[in-house]
Amino acid sequence: MHLIIAPVLLPLLAGIGLLLLRQQGRFLQRSLSVFSVFIQVVLASGLLARVSQGDILVYSLGNWPAPFGIVLVADRLAVWMLLITSLIALFSLLYALLGTDKSGRHFHVLFQLQLFGLNGAFLTGDLFNLFVFFEILLIASYSLLLHGGGKARTQAGLHFVVINLVGSTLFLFAVGILYGILGTLNMADMAAKVSALSVEHIPLIRAAGLLLFGVFALKAALVPLHLWLPAAYAHTSAPIAALFAIMTKVGVYSILRVYTLIFNTPAGPGANMIEAWLLPLALITLVIGILGAMASSGLYQQTAYLVIASVGTLLTAVGLNTPAGIAAGLYYLPHSTFAAAACFLLTNTIAMRRGQFADRLESGPLVSHMRLIGGLFFVTAILLAGLPPLSGFIGKFMILKAALAHSQLAWIMGVVLITSLFALIALTRSGSLLFYKVQAERESAVASAAVTTGSVPIIREVLPIIGLLGLCLALVILADPVIGYLQLTSGQLLEPSFYIQAVLAMGNTR
Amino acid sequence: MEALVSLIIGVLTACGVYLSLRGRTFPVVLGLTFLSYAANLFLLAMGRLTIGAPPIIADAAEGYTDPLPQALVLTAIVISFAMTAFVIVLALKTYKETGSDHVDGMHKP
Amino acid sequence: MNLLLVVLSPFLGAPLSTVISRLGRLHAAWFAGSITLSTIALLIPSAVTVFSGHTGIQHFDWIPVLGINLSFRLDGLGLLFALLILGIGLLVVLYARYYLSGRDSMGRFYACLLLFMGSMLGIVLSENIIQLLIFWELTSLSSFLLISYWQYRQESRSGARMALAVTGAGGLALLGGFLLLGEIVGSYELSRILESGTIIRTHPLYFPMLVLVLLGAFTKSAQFPFHFWLPHAMAAPTPVSAYLHSATMVKAGVFLLARLFPVLSGTPEWFWLVSSTGLITLLAGAYIALWKHDLKGLLAYSTISHLGLITLLFGISTPLAAVAGVFHIINHAIFKASLFMAAGIIDHETGTRDMRRLRGLWRFMPHTATLAMAAAASMAGVPLMNGFLSKEMFFAETLYDISSPWGWLLPTGAVLAGIFAVAYSWRFIHNVFFNGTPADLPKIPHEPPRWMKVPVEILVVLCLVVGIIPDLTVAPLLAVAASGVLQAPLPEYTLAIWHGFNPAFWMSMIALAGGVLVYHFFSFFFSLRQSAGEWPAMKTLYDFLLEKLFSWSGTITCFLHQQSLQRMIRVFVSFALILGIGGFIGEPFIFTGERVLLPADGVSLLIAAIIMVAAVSTVMLHRQRLAALIMMGTVGLGVALVFIRFSAPDLALTQLSVEFVTIVLMLLALYFLPQFTPAESRFSERIRDGLLALGAGSGLMLLTWAVLTRPYDTIAEFFLAESVPGGGGHNVVNVILVDFRGYDTLGEITVMALAGIGIYAMLEGLKLTGSTEYPGIRWSEDRHPVVFSTFARLLLPFALLVSVFIFLRGHNLPGGGFIAGLITAVALIMQYLANGTDWVRARMPLDMHTVIAAGLLIAVATGLASWFFGHPFLTSTFGNLHVPLAGELELASAMAFDLGVFLVVAGVTVLIIANMGSIHSESHPVTSRNTMH
Repeated sequence: MHLIIAPVLLPLLAGIGLLLLRQQGRFLQRSLSVFSVFIQVVLASGLLARVSQGDILVYSLGNWPAPFGIVLVADRLAVWMLLITSLIALFSLLYALLGTDKSGRHFHVLFQLQLFGLNGAFLTGDLFNLFVFFEILLIASYSLLLHGGGKARTQAGLHFVVINLVGSTLFLFAVGILYGILGTLNMADMAAKVSALSVEHIPLIRAAGLLLFGVFALKAALVPLHLWLPAAYAHTSAPIAALFAIMTKVGVYSILRVYTLIFNTPAGPGANMIEAWLLPLALITLVIGILGAMASSGLYQQTAYLVIASVGTLLTAVGLNTPAGIAAGLYYLPHSTFAAAACFLLTNTIAMRRGQFADRLESGPLVSHMRLIGGLFFVTAILLAGLPPLSGFIGKFMILKAALAHSQLAWIMGVVLITSLFALIALTRSGSLLFYKVQAERESAVASAAVTTGSVPIIREVLPIIGLLGLCLALVILADPVIGYLQLTSGQLLEPSFYIQAVLAMGNTR
Repeated sequence: MEALVSLIIGVLTACGVYLSLRGRTFPVVLGLTFLSYAANLFLLAMGRLTIGAPPIIADAAEGYTDPLPQALVLTAIVISFAMTAFVIVLALKTYKETGSDHVDGMHKP
Repeated sequence: MNLLLVVLSPFLGAPLSTVISRLGRLHAAWFAGSITLSTIALLIPSAVTVFSGHTGIQHFDWIPVLGINLSFRLDGLGLLFALLILGIGLLVVLYARYYLSGRDSMGRFYACLLLFMGSMLGIVLSENIIQLLIFWELTSLSSFLLISYWQYRQESRSGARMALAVTGAGGLALLGGFLLLGEIVGSYELSRILESGTIIRTHPLYFPMLVLVLLGAFTKSAQFPFHFWLPHAMAAPTPVSAYLHSATMVKAGVFLLARLFPVLSGTPEWFWLVSSTGLITLLAGAYIALWKHDLKGLLAYSTISHLGLITLLFGISTPLAAVAGVFHIINHAIFKASLFMAAGIIDHETGTRDMRRLRGLWRFMPHTATLAMAAAASMAGVPLMNGFLSKEMFFAETLYDISSPWGWLLPTGAVLAGIFAVAYSWRFIHNVFFNGTPADLPKIPHEPPRWMKVPVEILVVLCLVVGIIPDLTVAPLLAVAASGVLQAPLPEYTLAIWHGFNPAFWMSMIALAGGVLVYHFFSFFFSLRQSAGEWPAMKTLYDFLLEKLFSWSGTITCFLHQQSLQRMIRVFVSFALILGIGGFIGEPFIFTGERVLLPADGVSLLIAAIIMVAAVSTVMLHRQRLAALIMMGTVGLGVALVFIRFSAPDLALTQLSVEFVTIVLMLLALYFLPQFTPAESRFSERIRDGLLALGAGSGLMLLTWAVLTRPYDTIAEFFLAESVPGGGGHNVVNVILVDFRGYDTLGEITVMALAGIGIYAMLEGLKLTGSTEYPGIRWSEDRHPVVFSTFARLLLPFALLVSVFIFLRGHNLPGGGFIAGLITAVALIMQYLANGTDWVRARMPLDMHTVIAAGLLIAVATGLASWFFGHPFLTSTFGNLHVPLAGELELASAMAFDLGVFLVVAGVTVLIIANMGSIHSESHPVTSRNTMH
């Protein structure tokens, strides 16, 4: 029964413990941190096994019945997000142990509390509580983004913090309106109340719903609210950028949750309220992200823009607003997250070996371990460009297959296919510049670079990357069961009555 | 009264937005604080306006205002306090790192 | 039969060959060869069944939910291609072993070659078209690795990138086409698709689907206008060219045409698109080949032209044309592979491929010359060679409706192309092996190693036996392959050298005679022309487009993402405004509801006036930062007054204490920052921002009004009812905070804690000098005024007592852990201000980090405690207790939780402000004191 809340409490306790142990040896802290994340993977898998039978687990905190108390709700979607988060966290953390965690204070505390925020946001069934956990994961992300310091990083951090503070204010306004009309905060209860709403309130509810969409779009970096992302992701440390690959997905999750649950009453006020906005914006996001990737002068920046593009693809799938579309999106979500994370880590591994050329996309010195690292880049590029035979291809295939029934098929197919081509061209260029067009006279820089990285054995460096790529491979090999699970997930989302009943039926007795 | 409160919230929001659009960190922080004032008042108002009926259970009391928004506002105040503290220190750090207190590190006309 | 294994074994071999090459570079060659041989061996048993007219299908489930499966199909067409891929692959492996020099890594070469071989096998043996597509893209990727094998050469890199871009684009188009095809048929399995020809041809999606599929085929087969990547792929090592451009890569496109021939052909769209593309490619390729000085360049364009010929045949789409197409696929693969190998030998032994330098090699390498001549003769379509047979069938087919108005076009074009073909073949022979003595060659030419010639010999022998005794050699294979294409009984045809004096015969003769004449009359011009004619200059267009694409994306990206925070916020606010308005579009809406409103009274008006005046003046004064800060403080107090007014005492208390700490914080910060904001934003910008602000403000105002004037029913009744019986407290707000919604509060104090440690991390090592912008004012030298410090020390115990009191009553009356925490913090901060950081540090019993951690821990532990009573997290319980001063009060377990809140708040606040104080690096006070004495 307490299994549901475990993924929330574990990182919190780990964070507190690490704060108390801050004077202790680094080995102890690292082991505790890794152990906590590893257990989170186990817990998420356990929950997955529980919810894959189709029942929605509800946990009413303080033993107060919904809608009065706060409830945690573990349905297929929430648990899917938990699993992805814990996995990405595990490999980012393993890479961070190579030295990032030494470059500032409280890395592991912040990391664990970041996970506390993420898991809490995925599990909560209460809109205001979602706000609270947004704030937790945001303020943790602020410190993690700034971790290590430096001019560019601090600058990007300031922008990231301020724009998100403005976003949080908007969140409060939106929640306020919803409470002012519906008189409740529990999302299931809201859904129930929305469907029974008298007509003169409907526009207010629509406005509130759209303002919420603005908040989530900012988190998801949907055009035109994506402007904060490139600098923030390109200038933070690689493991954090890798972990942040999940952050945009929080916005996507919230969009999925709120607009399939609260505003999804057939022919109700919210009936596909954001449909008119989502699909076009998503396609534009995809295009702008790819153009940015082509224009990038560094590999970090390019990866950041590819993250934007992946959000575009993801929300295109969601914007189809069909079971097949949502399932496709939910398949593409972990793929894009893992691939982007792997690319960020790989970028760091490459940059450390190119002396002062770092991640700049220009002809530099030969990269040591060229075969291994080049091979990993080749695979990552195939993933990011969505080429066969890896998960990117299956994801795009699912999205296009789902789009076949859509009235805007021509647009969707055109944009998705052409942007894939552009991504391929951009990544080929990067690979060719980084690994092929090597300047012989700059061999000297190699030695110095090799010295700086010599401390860590290459295998420890690439293991997290290989792990992430392995996850993408698993998505391919296990595609059938995974997609089966996700089709049931989208079914569950588009039939909100299950969720509502599960939550409101918890009329428990003190 | 409702009109008055709406007006206050409107004014605070407008000032907040305007200040947060300035080019230097300090006014921006002021702007964010104003926005949180507005948000807090707004949340409280969403429980409708009641005078002289604090939500403290007493036999004498004939009615209570809606306590829930107050709880939410309390949480919001605390969070915005934490955020303000964070961002003001971050402003100091950027000032130190970039040598300018312009939000973009330097003034781009 | 096991087709999966056939396809898989090269893939398994690829990584192994790199490992094996460590043992010795030649081992890799032997290994690759044996892999290829064993794959052939695996294929033979199934091949037998195919000759008995049976189509083998092998099916494994992969993603049935999507209709993507691992399913393989072996029919005549697949078998023919598989044999070509493996047979010629084997010869290429042998040839490359002698071709590659000591500097080249054998392991990498053979690994890529095997990868490519596997991908090709996958294409031709696929039953599921999505699986076919996957292998299709794999050929693009592996060919990229092969073409860029000499990656240190610029032309290798650009050639490889171009090939990948063009064929990759085709692959994406093909994905679209196959998705539509699957939608039309309802399955991705070929056997289902090949049955439903009429459904496909009559479906409304037929045309877009056809265009997309043809885009895939034409890019792969280097058809005009996508032909340009092929000549640039010649940067690859010659064995690669011999493989990719004879039997494999480029043949994948025509394979696709053949594969889908029965279901796609037979419509005017197919005829016009395919045959016109084929004809143009046939002519353009042959013509350009004439002008090439580079041996491989000549062969490349002749390849393009021959692929055009095959495409044209499928375009004509009579059964016989299809048969001829299949036959020419075989013949072209054989003679073109041998020619590339011969060209490679010449390059290898003379050091150049430039036909302006190569002369009279006959005397140096007669053996190679003979082989090359035979192969070239086949390419030209000379009788007794295999090329002649298929070419004659081709000529015959071009006459299929000579009667129609444009019917003469095809035969004319065909003969013209034939003439060109003969001309460039004859040029290849005459120019390289005769025509004088070689001039300044880099090397002294001689015959290559014995075994390097063997592959060529085998291929040339094949040319001859197929050309002379087709019935005894190729006929059965051609038959099954052709029936595999047509999926229907074969038409009547005879493979004979002599069909009598029919039109086709005369066309061949004209081509032969004309070609020789063209060469002998125009060879002068060929050698004159320095730059080999790249007409039409598709390459230039491609480069132009790509360059433009990159520059445009650069421009757009720079325009969109100029890292400006003001821009971000502006965009966000405007977008939010649009969204908010968007909610009201459509439905009619009355803003004012019918709820009874409160009358405005004087006090409220006064408070409102204070707030608004202070707010506006903050904006007005925002350049004088200190003044602005004071004004903002006034606003904060006003807000607290509003809270009191509307029966929210807790909020008022909290707001007041938070306001105090915030102001102290900002004053501290302001001390380090510039005191004045320069006026730098243009008037127009200020107007724009002002309008935006007004928009947002009035929007919020209207929303508030709309909500406030509406009635609502809320879940609040529950809290009011349950607070005392269920929560054990009379102060409902506090009970909500620590009990009903304690989870929120847990999150909230975590935010506090995160802010604290985050700020601590930021401040670490941060040193700033105080502002010196008040020239008039001197800073007080007395850092810790005695009165202040003593007063502060006296104050401390009282303050602590007050906070305890506030804390204890919090559950029933306004107060609680948060406010108590702030009060304590304020009292402690007083000490810092009055007595200095070091003085307090010396007396502070514990580190604030520990306090924060302890606070969080207590809060969580209280929540966890309820687990032992079998209740969910944060379930509260309470009992009564008599406490002096605070009087009778219920001691709720929630109070322990509130204690956690208290500790975190106090700890964080002290941590922040104490550390802010300590970032000060000595500045003016020292100097001023020095000036004193």
